[in-house]
Amino acid sequence: MDFNVKNLFVFEIGGIEVWITQTIVNTWIIMLVLIAFAVYTRIRLRKFEEIPTGFQNVVELGVEAFDDMARETAGDELMSLGSWFFMVFLFVTLANLSGLVGLRPPTADFATPLALALATFFLIQIMGLKFRKGDYLRSFFEPNLIFFPLNVIGEIARPISLSFRLFGNILAGLILMTLIYALLPTVIRLVLPAALHAYFDLFTGVLQTYIFCVLSLTFIKGAAEP
Amino acid sequence: MQDPLAFIIAVAHIAAAISLLNGLLTTLGQGKIVATAIESMARQPEAAGSIRGTMFIGLAMGETSGIYGLLIAIIMLFANPLVSLYIQYAM
Repeated sequence: MDFNVKNLFVFEIGGIEVWITQTIVNTWIIMLVLIAFAVYTRIRLRKFEEIPTGFQNVVELGVEAFDDMARETAGDELMSLGSWFFMVFLFVTLANLSGLVGLRPPTADFATPLALALATFFLIQIMGLKFRKGDYLRSFFEPNLIFFPLNVIGEIARPISLSFRLFGNILAGLILMTLIYALLPTVIRLVLPAALHAYFDLFTGVLQTYIFCVLSLTFIKGAAEP
Repeated sequence: MQDPLAFIIAVAHIAAAISLLNGLLTTLGQGKIVATAIESMARQPEAAGSIRGTMFIGLAMGETSGIYGLLIAIIMLFANPLVSLYIQYAM
């Protein structure tokens, strides 16, 4: 019964200790799976068909679903963000589901959600400056000059709440599953947790990933459009 | 008070339990969101898809305070700053 991030090995570069933790190794495994899938897709799509069949159909379905989601939530101008959120969705879904095969989910370490939420934060600022230029900077002083600190705090609170939402959900599922595995006798341990895994890993994991993507898109749209 | 460390740990556990009580209001709010969403779905079944999407976003927004309480409880139980502060002070 322990759900802390374990440190696997340490090495030194120029006097600085670099810790290779479970999170990093699991992230590498997920990256390997995703890269292998991407290479496989590239090889399979070498003979591209006008009218898609079989494997090409499935891949096009996924890409189209995210382009549609980006267009519906953020509008035509920001449609190119669909590919970025397709990547985020695949990575975070695989990370959340990796609890099913016995790995510790990388999203249950606060570093991973924070990195993704910071990417969203910078996307918000860059898209706001790109599409509205001076207007965006003026929006910080919106009702009055006195509201500037409040607006800045509100801007900083966004990545924090985004990352804590993902992190808290996955960590709560991990802790509950660990407690249940520690409590139950061996015979029941094989049967009962399957239903709980379906809820905590499959349902919560996929739903939280979807919410992360949609909320990020909504924030970016709010900054890019007046 | 015989052992100050035991007292600190006991108070931290009670604090974790109290911080988890915010689940009451969070659940109430989420129930209200779902009830209203179902009402409007029954009134306009053709808009059910978009209402469902908005409902999930609203549920996630309402869940935030519950998640904050959970994180405070987790910090109290597993990464308590007061215990390490006390140990540092007592040594």
